[in-house]
Amino acid sequence: MSLTAWVRRARTPAPVAVAREFAYLEPADLFDLDIKDDPEASPALCCTGDPAGAAAFNALWLKRIAASGRYAAAVSVRGQGGTAVAEGGVEARAHDLVQAAVNVPRQAVLIGHREGASWAALAAGRYPAAGLVLVSPQKFPKQPPKPVGNPPVLLVVSESEAQSKEAQAVTDAYGVAPLTFAGSPDEVFKGPAAEGLLDAVLSWLANKN
Amino acid sequence: MQEYSSQAAYDRGEAVCVIGAGASGLIAVKNLRENGFEVDCYERDTVLGGLWNPQNQHSPLYPNTHLVTSRSQTEIPDFPMPDDWPDYPSAAQMLTYLTSYAKHFGLSEHIWYGSEISNIEPVEGSRFEVIVKPAAGNAARRLRYAAVIIATGHHWAPNLPAYPGQDQYRGTVLHSSQLKDASRLRGKNVLVVGGGNSGVDIACEAAVNASSCVHSVRRGSWHLPKYLGGEPADYALNRLGARPKFLRRFLTDRLLKGPARLAARMGVDVPDRGPTGEEPVRNGRYFEHVGDGSITRRGEIAHLDGFEVAFADGTEMRPDLIVFATGYRPKVTAAPAKLLGIDGDSQYPKLLARMFSPKLETLAVAGLVEPGVGVLPIVHWQTHAIAHWLHVRKGDPERAANFRRQVVSESAQYEVEPGGASPRHQLAVDAEAYLASLGRIIDTLEQEPAK
Repeated sequence: MSLTAWVRRARTPAPVAVAREFAYLEPADLFDLDIKDDPEASPALCCTGDPAGAAAFNALWLKRIAASGRYAAAVSVRGQGGTAVAEGGVEARAHDLVQAAVNVPRQAVLIGHREGASWAALAAGRYPAAGLVLVSPQKFPKQPPKPVGNPPVLLVVSESEAQSKEAQAVTDAYGVAPLTFAGSPDEVFKGPAAEGLLDAVLSWLANKN
Repeated sequence: MQEYSSQAAYDRGEAVCVIGAGASGLIAVKNLRENGFEVDCYERDTVLGGLWNPQNQHSPLYPNTHLVTSRSQTEIPDFPMPDDWPDYPSAAQMLTYLTSYAKHFGLSEHIWYGSEISNIEPVEGSRFEVIVKPAAGNAARRLRYAAVIIATGHHWAPNLPAYPGQDQYRGTVLHSSQLKDASRLRGKNVLVVGGGNSGVDIACEAAVNASSCVHSVRRGSWHLPKYLGGEPADYALNRLGARPKFLRRFLTDRLLKGPARLAARMGVDVPDRGPTGEEPVRNGRYFEHVGDGSITRRGEIAHLDGFEVAFADGTEMRPDLIVFATGYRPKVTAAPAKLLGIDGDSQYPKLLARMFSPKLETLAVAGLVEPGVGVLPIVHWQTHAIAHWLHVRKGDPERAANFRRQVVSESAQYEVEPGGASPRHQLAVDAEAYLASLGRIIDTLEQEPAK
């Protein structure tokens, strides 16, 4: 975050505070002796544009991420799942995400799906994420802020979206080539397509963090 | 002569040494590591958090210490405080915050506790030999670092006044940092000396705990309540900075009219300079206590005698307890004074842009400013600039030389003219001008090198 961006933010009213729904799973919570907790691995914090919020990640994502030895967490921003509706646009949702990120015990990788990807991109401009994973971004800001601390960025889109405007915008902003997965961009929470996608994300994370 | 465990210094290569693991030290370690430096941080005490940790033996905390600047203006820019915390968190919450900052960014493994830096010596041009003296045992170690950042703070060496007859005074005298528990005030006639934030806060504690409280104040200062116009006061004032210049003066005056009139009614003269010039007193309860008579304001002390205290206006009193809330002297023991530009009889460092040593390029000081606003963000941008500077210096000596010239020319721009008599005014800067200057410095450092 640049100094001018911070000066501007310190002069604007902070978004209304809400009690956020926060779901997390530690590797030890899985009661599986084969799973080793990796203290070096960065925790992962997920969010999605889906109205279910954090609950959407319960079916598969949190378990799979925790099984890879990482602390896995998901947050519902204002208006989603168990989090109350409150005023504020994308900036307030990015604020929710940053607040959830500082709540994670260590520097976290931000994983955003759909509109969640644009909130994650805004949050990464204010919080030094350990990594930024954008899954099928939607309503992506035209000029996303420069991520603080230069985290590695991963863009994953479905095959049908590979040529879309959003994918192009992200590619231009971060200079990363998209990784594609088979299946619909809205069905990433369970099913074989979701497993393939998660494996790709986790193996990328294993290389970077 | 000191005994060294080994004559040869251990060379840490490109690593950077940070002295102090208080708020400034922690921010420095985090920002240096973010820029790819290896860091060793040495802390004299056995705990982190510096002045915010009551277990630190030099802690300046007094009963019921709270932040005087609000949460949104005090939090570290890239690690916000939880948004369900109060506007003015307590010292205990500050410690929780700094501890979670250290844990979140994995800083603890780079901190060496119980290790005091007794001296640093420049060697081989721009490198440093650092002499680390452990708290236990007497074998000092020598290590070599590429750069040193001093973050030892300036709130640990008590500044005690010397009034005539003070050595013959036979009552109890405490410095504000020694008053750890409000129960020491209970049922006593207390005299609080000093009109800064700590003096005013302690006077308010005495107003509700002690049987009587006299507050001796030498000169007037700005008094702001903690809330102005329904918002935290510093936020309300900062927000006006976004307005056009011609409106700003008018809006500021309108916002400060109430507090200024109240101060005048209570017989406090307000300095001509606005409340941004020097650290204002931020306490909303003080004038209520003055107004209901539980605090009596007096002028300066003339002399002490036996158990009696005489004031300059001729009145006398017999306190059970005197609390000197007279602040702290800036004191840097880790480095030789001349490296920090301390010369002559002045004990105040003269640093370039308030952070770089005027003598050596790789020596910097973090957090030795009194900006009159929350200091953590200022330290964040300072150490951000220092880390970038060390980075640029390593890769591109030509840019580094140009940058050096810019820093020298920036240095004169945000001085607050030294009008105040207390030690901390020597460190005062105008926050807005200083931040603008830091912004220019960071912009220069972050530019793509000209090809």
